[in-house]
Amino acid sequence: MKAELRRAITGYAFILPWLVALVVFIGYPFFAAFYFSFCDFPPLLKPMFIGTENYRQLVIDPVFRRSLAVTLIYAAFAIPFGVFVALSLALLLSARIRGQTFYRVVFYLPHLVPSVVVALLWMWIFNPKFGIFNVVLGLLMRVADAWTGLFFRLSADGGPLVHPAAVLLLVGPVAALLAYGPWLKTSASTRHGGFRFAAATVLALTVLTVAFAVLCWLLPEDMRKLHSPGWLADGTSFPSVVKFAPSWALWAIIVMGMWSVGQMAIIYLAKLQDVPVQLYEAADIDGASWWDKTRHITLPMISPVILFNVVMAIIGTFQVFTEPYIMTRGGPEDKTRFVAMFIYDQAFQYQNVGYASAVAWFLFLLIVGLTMLAFQISKRHVYYAGR
Amino acid sequence: MPDVEQAEIYGRRPPWYLRLPAHLLLAAGGVFFLLPLVWMVATSLKPLDQTMRYPDSLQSAFLGEGWKAEIGGKTCDVVLERRVAPAPDRPFFIVQPKAPFAAGEMTHPFGKDVWDRYPVFNKQELVRMNATVEPGMNVLADDVNRFDPAAGILRLQSGRALSATLVRHIDPVAEGDELWVVREWRAEDTDTKEVGSTGGDVTRAWDVVAKSQLQKTVRVIPENYPVALRRVHFVRCLLNTLFLCTLVVLGVTISSMVIAYGFAFLEFKGRDLIFGITLATMMIPFPVTMIPVYLLYRDFGWVGTFKPLWVASWCGSAFFIFLLRQFYLGLPKDLLDAARIDGCTELEILWLVIVPLSRPAIAMIALFTFLGTWKDFLGPLIYLNHEAQFTLSLSLQAFASEHGGTPWHLLMAASTVFSLPLIVLFFCTMRTFIRGIAMTGVKG
Repeated sequence: MKAELRRAITGYAFILPWLVALVVFIGYPFFAAFYFSFCDFPPLLKPMFIGTENYRQLVIDPVFRRSLAVTLIYAAFAIPFGVFVALSLALLLSARIRGQTFYRVVFYLPHLVPSVVVALLWMWIFNPKFGIFNVVLGLLMRVADAWTGLFFRLSADGGPLVHPAAVLLLVGPVAALLAYGPWLKTSASTRHGGFRFAAATVLALTVLTVAFAVLCWLLPEDMRKLHSPGWLADGTSFPSVVKFAPSWALWAIIVMGMWSVGQMAIIYLAKLQDVPVQLYEAADIDGASWWDKTRHITLPMISPVILFNVVMAIIGTFQVFTEPYIMTRGGPEDKTRFVAMFIYDQAFQYQNVGYASAVAWFLFLLIVGLTMLAFQISKRHVYYAGR
Repeated sequence: MPDVEQAEIYGRRPPWYLRLPAHLLLAAGGVFFLLPLVWMVATSLKPLDQTMRYPDSLQSAFLGEGWKAEIGGKTCDVVLERRVAPAPDRPFFIVQPKAPFAAGEMTHPFGKDVWDRYPVFNKQELVRMNATVEPGMNVLADDVNRFDPAAGILRLQSGRALSATLVRHIDPVAEGDELWVVREWRAEDTDTKEVGSTGGDVTRAWDVVAKSQLQKTVRVIPENYPVALRRVHFVRCLLNTLFLCTLVVLGVTISSMVIAYGFAFLEFKGRDLIFGITLATMMIPFPVTMIPVYLLYRDFGWVGTFKPLWVASWCGSAFFIFLLRQFYLGLPKDLLDAARIDGCTELEILWLVIVPLSRPAIAMIALFTFLGTWKDFLGPLIYLNHEAQFTLSLSLQAFASEHGGTPWHLLMAASTVFSLPLIVLFFCTMRTFIRGIAMTGVKG
């Protein structure tokens, strides 16, 4: 008994600082925020209980609804994009080709840049007049226009949409058909590698050309804007026909978010190294293609990390603050007013502590709900080795 | 990152027609990831006027361009100030007035075309125009400030007429060429106070030169750096940031070390429950606890001091406690038992046995905490309200918002200096980094 007591004392002595943190810096604030959310709490006065008034206001507050919509739209784009890009990047970075060390460092570097710098740098990059993004984008769009213009008429001012030269685009599908046709599949794939590569290139170009032309035909206004968008200053959505599409300003922030996706990719990469080589060797013997191996070995083996990254991304995206705070202060027309920023403004600018707490708790419940949803969905898809 | 290189993922090396697209994709991605950083450094070395101009080529997007001209027999860097268009019926002259007059009595030294081209020139700078033009200085007589060569009279815009001597005629140039007023440019003009221009500084050498006589040069301005660092009060903010980083890194490392030991090796009632709660707290988003914690610190009277930013770190951090506990559990238990038999106290075991063995994990924690503190913005934004306490991120943001984000060359210079330590640190500690990233991933 005495020994047990002594052990307990030693044990609690070791974790004492953490107990303090748990109570003072986490537990108390957590529940206090919950209490405040039911209170009117004017600055320098005691909180007064007002029931669910704050929550009622939350439902009708148009600014909050807008900021919630912005956050949800952002999450709906940024999380899948981020996971997809990071995963593709990790797969590319794990391919056995030369220069991987260099590539890995390059893709990781942006993660080291402080968020204030990221925000300022991308503000400058997205500067509609002098920024490098529009310089490069304008260049690319001009090239795309010129190329697509060889086959299609891009302006909608009458005349036939399709040039006679568009017939040339048939070459692409035909080439692909020949390359991937069943009569080639029987021979060793490496022998016709060059031919397949050429066919794939032609096919990709064809698809891009047709897609670009169709977009120019369906969305002439958006495509014109795409040559030199106003980015952070532009609150109109793109594409403009989709009601819930992100605004140009939000797109800018999404693109910026993609820039620091390297961290996630490196986490995937670290996990990719743990996939047993024997699995791939066995698949090779069975004649599995690259895609088969990715689909049936790689993805299941790293699925726990995918779940981990998705959860981290959910927690992260719902707390985005620094970048929009510095870049746009919520504008234009609240199109980048993220919920975290809304909370900050309510708490520290307008001193509505009770209301801010209500929003914060709402955010917390949202995050918990989405995380649980992610776990629920993952149950069927995530494979835990050794379980 | 070298030591991730080993494994033979996907079995054999892919054939060239798969390697080539992989290279192309990686290179394209690499451009997207690297270009912003290159652009940051490139901008930081540009003169101000070059950041305010649509780059007409990719090269001029990255390299600041400028002009060189011969003024008074020596070649110097110049700014193109204003285009003049002499016509045969209204000839232009360079003249020397015989009596002093206020520079403001002359035409606005910037024509409309100059305003369009260099929108950054700000009107206050034109106060300089109140400098007096002394006899012996060259001035430009144009179609507003007319000079009558026969009478030797210069009629100013203000209406005053005074006598002046002709220095020279400005001859019309060939078709397709242009005449420009150019003024000497110095590297220190890069400071926003100097508005990156010669600002019509009458004390500087100037001349009217045909564009064909100008030489285009690349202007690289390392002088931006000292100016930018002065503007963000770099030394003071660096000291503040380092002070915070030191306290937080020490706090998090030491406390996590001790607390994780408690969770890993000591057995007591409620341990696993508390550990479970610890893991759960990682789910709580910062905005939820932000407000009550702020009020708490306000009651302590700590708002406006550094204390809210570092004191809590001495109580440990959930994520690092978790990581370190996992690491501890991987250590051989026999060592611990041996030390206990030798009569070591728990603290001695921690210090003499566990810490030396877990040096890599501790280094990782210290490194990541340092990065986090160095980059932190929201914390300092909430708690620091006096400029003398600003950390680098806060000071940079203050500088940016105070100028409405105009002096991009200075902002990028300061940003470069602010990010560089982290990048250098990364290259010096790559091994620890990779191990750390791998460890964070293990969690899933």
